[in-house]
Amino acid sequence: MKRLPMLRDVGLDVLTLCILFIVLLPILWVVVASVRPDSDIASGGWIPQRFTIQHYQEIMAFPGFLVALKNSLIVGITVAVITTTMAVPAAYALSRLSFRGRNFVALVILGTQMLPSVAVLVPLVVIIRQIGLSNTLTALIFTHLSLGMPIAVWMLRGYIDGVPRELEEAALIDGCGRIGAMVRVVLPLIRPAIVAVGTFAFVLSWGEFILALALISKADTKTLPLALQGLFDPYSFSWGRVMAGGTIIALPTIILFLVFRKQLVGGLLAGGVKG
Amino acid sequence: MAIAIGSSDTAQRSNERSTRANLDRMLPYGLIAPAVFVAFAIAVVPMGYAIWLSLQDWYLLRRPTPIWGGLINYIQLFHDASLWAAFGRTWIWTIGTVFVELFLGVPIALLFNRESAVSRTASALILLPWVTPFVVLGFGWRFLLDGDVGPIQGILKMLGISGTGSVLNDPVRALIAIIMISGWKGMPFMVIAVLAALKSIPKDIYEAAEVDGAGAFRRFYHVTLPAIWNTMLTVGIVLGILAFYSFDLPWIMTRGGPQAATTIVGITMYKAVFQELRPAYAAAISVVMLVLLFVASILVLRLRRKD
Repeated sequence: MKRLPMLRDVGLDVLTLCILFIVLLPILWVVVASVRPDSDIASGGWIPQRFTIQHYQEIMAFPGFLVALKNSLIVGITVAVITTTMAVPAAYALSRLSFRGRNFVALVILGTQMLPSVAVLVPLVVIIRQIGLSNTLTALIFTHLSLGMPIAVWMLRGYIDGVPRELEEAALIDGCGRIGAMVRVVLPLIRPAIVAVGTFAFVLSWGEFILALALISKADTKTLPLALQGLFDPYSFSWGRVMAGGTIIALPTIILFLVFRKQLVGGLLAGGVKG
Repeated sequence: MAIAIGSSDTAQRSNERSTRANLDRMLPYGLIAPAVFVAFAIAVVPMGYAIWLSLQDWYLLRRPTPIWGGLINYIQLFHDASLWAAFGRTWIWTIGTVFVELFLGVPIALLFNRESAVSRTASALILLPWVTPFVVLGFGWRFLLDGDVGPIQGILKMLGISGTGSVLNDPVRALIAIIMISGWKGMPFMVIAVLAALKSIPKDIYEAAEVDGAGAFRRFYHVTLPAIWNTMLTVGIVLGILAFYSFDLPWIMTRGGPQAATTIVGITMYKAVFQELRPAYAAAISVVMLVLLFVASILVLRLRRKD
């Protein structure tokens, strides 16, 4: 009587693993190709037998790749810091304070989340060219704020809603101002969410392609996603090298996502996130 | 003397109190201002500017400084057959992508909706295609579908779906392949959203349906489907909007080719700015995109179930 449901559970677990494997196989294949010699990629069969870190070494010696890595880090970290420092007070105001126009503000911020970069690409590019900021990291940082800011405000607001008001009221009676109460009471309690939101902003900026493509054309301000195209060397073409470049971009995203999964899945569901 | 001092003291205090109250009233606006500024500078202002720009006559090769052109771009746009072909492809692309996402995502969510360590781990790891940047997947799939070394190309050839060259070299198959990839990338989002909706269905409804003699199919049709319908629709719209504005995947994989087989509107718009140097025309395209998308979203939202 009891064996049958157990068998069914095991069967469904196996099926789950098979489906998961098939779905993730393309990504797995990319990562595996980045550590295989090119000759094996071409004719070594599907199961890898020999491994190499040669592609990664080549990339590091590639002109422009390290510059792009540095630029991506600068842009990503700056975007993460600015996004969180702007989103925390905004989320606090939306959660705790009542003021005229609150719903309108919430709507505008959520609305920008729904707006993909391509929708505002043309006017943004024209504006940025006219104020002479094309080919600068400043312009890229500024436009990348749109990627994570709305979802950051939205997620943090939810977390602040969950902090009991009594904790703050005690601080307010003790003579802290509103800002004091926010900084000393609420901020420490939502620290994990702040870190998650900052990570999210970083990751979205790190892999962003079209804004970078449209705004940057000079080698010294290129970011990693743009540098990937540069790895197609017409004289010594290597798939392994391109896949290694892809892995370098994908890996931090995947690792940070898995670390902050719990916070992020809630955020993903709260508002459809830009891909 | 003492009285005078006392009264000025109270005056000062009430003055302090009123500035304090003023500060309190201004505080929310101060806190929210930076975020609202960013939202305006990056979304609202560009949208307004796009409308203004679309009414200019500005063609960098012929007229380097913009002058008022009225509806000139919209008139040209109306007669631009290749643009409407791109719009047609974009609808195929958008509907195809969302269809693949529903077709794969809903069954996977149903399968993952169990209490077991395996399904918990799986519902975390399934998100990897969603979180991996488009640029990586674009180049990755170019490798996987490469005519000489691509392993998935090899499988397609074995199955007789593709000839000796890459599927990406054939106009029809290239579009289908990239739609599939686009759906595969967005599908995990559908899975976790539907999964969340499934978890909120009370168990006793199923038990009651089973007691009433409803089979598995009827239980799905009468209990599960109504409960996840609105989630499927809402997430379908969100993913549809993203698909409608796609650029990265077809640009990286095929540059819109072979011929124009994968040229969706995002690519047409990009080319209008950067290759044809017609920013005003591109702005008109983005305004039309927004209007069409808005109408389509309203139509789809009417399919929502009301309780």
